[in-house]
Amino acid sequence: MNRTEPERLDALRVALGDPAEADNPVGNAAALAVDERGEAFVAGERLLDAFGFPAEFVPAHLGGRLTRLDHMIHIARTVGRRDLALAFGYSGSTFIASTNVWTAGSPAQQRAVADLVLGGGRVAAGYHELAHGNDVARAELSARRAGDTLVLDGRKEVISNLARADLLVLYARTGTPLGPRSHSLLLVDLTAATGDTALRLLPRFRSAGMRSVQLGGIEFDGYRLPAGHVLGRFGDGVLTATRAFQVTRTALPAIACAGLDGALREAMSLATSRHLGRGVIADLPQVRRLLVDAFVDLLVCDAFTTVGARALHLLPQQTTIVSSAIKYLVPHLLLRAVRSLSTLLGSTFYVRNGRHGMFQKHLRDLAPAGFGHMAPKASLAMLVPQMQQLVRRGWSTPEPADPLLFRLSHDLPDLRYHQLAMSSNGRDALGGTLLAESDAILAAAAGDAELRRVIGAHLADFAALRRTVADLPAGRNGPLPASSYDLADRYSRLLAASACIGVWRGSDGRSFLGSPQWLTAALSRLTVQYRPGRDVDQRTASLWPELHSRHVAMRTFDLAEHAA
Amino acid sequence: MSIAYGPVRRAKDWDALLGDPDDPDVLFSYPRCLRLDDTEAFPDDICAHLDELGLPAYYVPVAHGGLLGNFDDAATMVRLIARRDLTVAIAHFKTFLGAAPVWVAGTTTQADDLAATVLAGHPIALGLTERGIGSDLLATRTVAEPGDEPGSLTITGEKWLINNGRRATVVTTLVRTSPNAGPRALSLLLVDRRLAGSGGMTGTAKIPTHGIRGADISGVRYAGAGVGPAGVVGGIGRGVDTLLRALQVTRIATTPLSLGAADQALRLGYDFCADRELYGGRLVDLPVVRRSLGRAAAALFVAEAAVLLGCRAINALPEELSVVAAVVKAFVPSVVDDLIHDVGELLGARAFLLDVLHGGRFQKVERDHRIVGIFDGSTAVNQNYLAGQFSRLGRRYRQRRLNRDGVAVAADLARPLPPLELHRLDVLSPNGCSVVQALPDLLADPVIVRTVPAALLAVLGDAVTELHDELAGWRVTGGALPAIAFDLARRYELCFASASCLLLWRYNYEHVTTELWHEAEWLLCALTLLAEWLGAEPDGAADDLFIRLGGRRPEPGWGPPMSIFPATLADLR
Ligand SMILES: Cc1cc2nc3c(=O)[nH]c(=O)nc-3n(C[C@H](O)[C@H](O)[C@H](O)COP(=O)(O)OP(=O)(O)OC[C@H]3O[C@@H](n4cnc5c(N)ncnc54)[C@H](O)[C@@H]3O)c2cc1C
Ligand SMILES: Cc1cc2nc3c(=O)[nH]c(=O)nc-3n(C[C@H](O)[C@H](O)[C@H](O)COP(=O)(O)OP(=O)(O)OC[C@H]3O[C@@H](n4cnc5c(N)ncnc54)[C@H](O)[C@@H]3O)c2cc1C
Repeated sequence: MNRTEPERLDALRVALGDPAEADNPVGNAAALAVDERGEAFVAGERLLDAFGFPAEFVPAHLGGRLTRLDHMIHIARTVGRRDLALAFGYSGSTFIASTNVWTAGSPAQQRAVADLVLGGGRVAAGYHELAHGNDVARAELSARRAGDTLVLDGRKEVISNLARADLLVLYARTGTPLGPRSHSLLLVDLTAATGDTALRLLPRFRSAGMRSVQLGGIEFDGYRLPAGHVLGRFGDGVLTATRAFQVTRTALPAIACAGLDGALREAMSLATSRHLGRGVIADLPQVRRLLVDAFVDLLVCDAFTTVGARALHLLPQQTTIVSSAIKYLVPHLLLRAVRSLSTLLGSTFYVRNGRHGMFQKHLRDLAPAGFGHMAPKASLAMLVPQMQQLVRRGWSTPEPADPLLFRLSHDLPDLRYHQLAMSSNGRDALGGTLLAESDAILAAAAGDAELRRVIGAHLADFAALRRTVADLPAGRNGPLPASSYDLADRYSRLLAASACIGVWRGSDGRSFLGSPQWLTAALSRLTVQYRPGRDVDQRTASLWPELHSRHVAMRTFDLAEHAA
Repeated sequence: MSIAYGPVRRAKDWDALLGDPDDPDVLFSYPRCLRLDDTEAFPDDICAHLDELGLPAYYVPVAHGGLLGNFDDAATMVRLIARRDLTVAIAHFKTFLGAAPVWVAGTTTQADDLAATVLAGHPIALGLTERGIGSDLLATRTVAEPGDEPGSLTITGEKWLINNGRRATVVTTLVRTSPNAGPRALSLLLVDRRLAGSGGMTGTAKIPTHGIRGADISGVRYAGAGVGPAGVVGGIGRGVDTLLRALQVTRIATTPLSLGAADQALRLGYDFCADRELYGGRLVDLPVVRRSLGRAAAALFVAEAAVLLGCRAINALPEELSVVAAVVKAFVPSVVDDLIHDVGELLGARAFLLDVLHGGRFQKVERDHRIVGIFDGSTAVNQNYLAGQFSRLGRRYRQRRLNRDGVAVAADLARPLPPLELHRLDVLSPNGCSVVQALPDLLADPVIVRTVPAALLAVLGDAVTELHDELAGWRVTGGALPAIAFDLARRYELCFASASCLLLWRYNYEHVTTELWHEAEWLLCALTLLAEWLGAEPDGAADDLFIRLGGRRPEPGWGPPMSIFPATLADLR
């Protein structure tokens, strides 16, 4: 019954079949067809039902299969490489909503939601209101106490799967004045509500990508909810969301890496087959370079998100920082890489059907990874006050992380949702490793002058960043200056660099991940003002064989290098 | 003294003729174009309306009875249409691309005949690409063999991914006229659907595309289509040579499409940020948001300067277009793709949802514009072409070779452009690139030195010198170009853009007194951005410049194009 992660990965991959097969009901042709029509991918969803996909994000102690977040991510990527919209549309909302339940729900609530999800039920996550966007603190939908009921008024918009969810985790204003305790999370049973005129579903929202995802909305007009249907404590909405979203803001970008993986496979496939003169375009150094750059970006994103996912198990009190940095940086790199590949595909990218028609779908489907679930700039803004704490604490007396953080094959303790915190309180073991172990890191890179140079550049930037942050005025009023966002950008890159270095050190020196080539490329591309130098051709040549052999052998382009 | 900058005034007239684009009852309006995109329907009635208004005259040189005397005017028209809708602009303007080889290399009779066809509103297509063959023209498989009549040719084969493939009356078609390898085996033919013989030439199925979904992107199948001697452009075996010269003009002339797209995107960005309430204020009140807007506006100005210099160079520096065209076509669409992407980040979900903000207009312009960097020579293809001229460019720079008067005419909007002489185009530029080669003088110019901070000029100066040292030492090693060549090409483009900004400012600053020109605001923003793209450390002090520019919201509603130049003649005093 309890299959291991590799067994599940294999089973899922085999079930999904050959994407290029024209009559594969879950192949590329089928995925493109539902995308064109904007319909849910029914065949794909049936397959995931049969696989029991939702069990992957129900914690094991509640009967699910979630023991390691990085494993859940691998399973979801297996779907996402084929069709990110299927992965997200099928269960993204359930994942987001139920994570809040695992974080703050009573044992009975957790039990009930776990049973619902394991039984194939869907949960919607109702946070967003068009009028307030990222400013969730001002969300207006209200729940007023009236005796032993809560009276709901207002609307939520652009909510995945709302029209077909059994349960809605609803973020509502429950108090005046506006502040950290003015909102609560509520559990609204949508099956019980059918026919109630105090609640109305809004028309579907159409979108440019993720077109198979059913985006809906809901409007309440005096709807009565039993007062007991509060998730966690009354007034804890902001707190719970802030804590639970550390998991989802790490995992969703991690899963989104699959979109780049899929896009890179299309690009490799075109580049190695499209004729130009006597050869193929992959013979052109510039084409190889774009492909290798995308490969390196994918490795960076995977290193960062995998370490982030492991941090949630190992350092749950510190992940406000890492999850915000991931939510900002990873989608930025993924989108940049896919856009750059699109220029390589040229006219092939622009054509929606045909052998590489999936590429433009990957590009469109990746977009919400950027703005969804917290804007990149809002993520940076979250980091600024934390950096000011870090100057005084974690950066002045840095503590290195437990080496297990970087040893990717090592098992992890259970995810302790209750330990997720509102703030990292000036602690940051991921950045701290870079500071505390700089000598050991440079020593490990002793054999490679270029690697030492680029590590040195990051260390110097960290030192400069600490000085600048130390000089920031404390507790200012009004909006953050633009330059503060740049500091948070630099910090995010340093954290990603630390993750890459950690993965490199934590791996077997003979493996690809233990080689200086990928790390040098990764760290170079992470520098703020990356400017390709004379060595681009040499660097491309050093990584091309790895990329090419993975493509030929049908292995994924991420760290785990699974069968694709 | 004032500059009678005609194009801007003409644009105003046309805009008035076309009506308010936000009004759904107007034929050529945003709401209608969005609906056409949604249903992938061709904008027939809008194109017909443009024909009635006389737009095709701008595609025909004055010498052949049209209004095309210079590309300032033509560019303005393209930009104007593109800021309403790129599908329409690309579908309509394609006729110019199809006709250009005839203007460049055709006989007078050919040109006069084709002019009559264009002026009558017939679309002309350009058939180069074939299935499985992109930019590799030498792999052309469509063949033309001697027909029954003396001098006539019979064509067999298929062109694929052709704009207006089903609709065009004439398809300017690249064919193989000899089995030998090499460029001399290819010829350009005017294949006229009215003369091709029934069934000899048919349009093939519409190809679904990522953007410009309503356009007729299809193919042409030739099954014995006949062409008489009068249909051979530039002579048998001259196809590639003719194209290389015609493409110089068309590549420059398509870049105003990018300006129109940038205009749409940026305006949506300014309006959204000004209206959007967030965190108890307006989004535009966040300095970081304002900076993003300012940077995007500066990017538009950079692109505009490069386009303007490029377009005016067609008349003023025709011998140098092999460089100018490659630079401008590689540079402008990619700058604008990035600009649109960055504005999209400001719009968040509204850049993605179809029904929430202006009917999802942003995501349409984002998808539509991506084609500009692909067709008519992609960025990589143009950079490749530029790289072929590196060592000459390095040498000419060192020799300080400069067509001084040509540069001045190109840059000084008050000076009339010399007549259009498309037969003067050359496959390679003997002089290098006067615009870039003017940089040492510009960077030392007393007025510029007084205006632009020394540190900024030093960054630019170093970048220019460093680049040209590399170019002068550039050796063709045989085989494929190394990737570094593409980075050098990009830096060359940045130098061209820097020179364009400096030239336009230097030659016109005394005559334009609008806010953007006060204390050289636009110039400093543009140069700061260019310096950053050239690899300079971002300058924190520059934030204030961008933030100020980001506060300059264009007039809400339908105003003049976003431009460094003011809209009305009165403003130009
Ligand atoms: C496919 C899809 C599925 C979705 N599913 C759900 C769901 O299941 N449940 C749900 O609740 N929502 C869902 N959403 C909504 C989504 O979470 C919102 O779109 C998202 O929160 C972004 O809001 P907004 O774009 O309206 O941004 P806005 O808040 O309007 O922000 C606009 C822009 O302002 C800028 N900005 C914002 N904050 C800051 C800051 N602090 N500093 C500087 N600049 C800033 C950014 O540039 C941002 O992009 C979904 C959306 C999509 C597209
Ligand atoms: C909507 C649309 C409309 C079009 N309209 C027309 C039309 O009207 N008439 C017409 O003839 N064609 C038309 N085309 C075709 C268009 O001009 C081609 O896209 C163009 O010829 C380039 O081909 P490609 O993009 O397939 O690139 P390919 O030549 O197949 O090359 C693929 C990729 O390889 C790389 N590459 C190629 N050469 C080099 C090089 N030398 N150095 C480095 N990298 C290189 C580039 O990244 C390129 O994108 C249209 C295309 C589209 C999508």
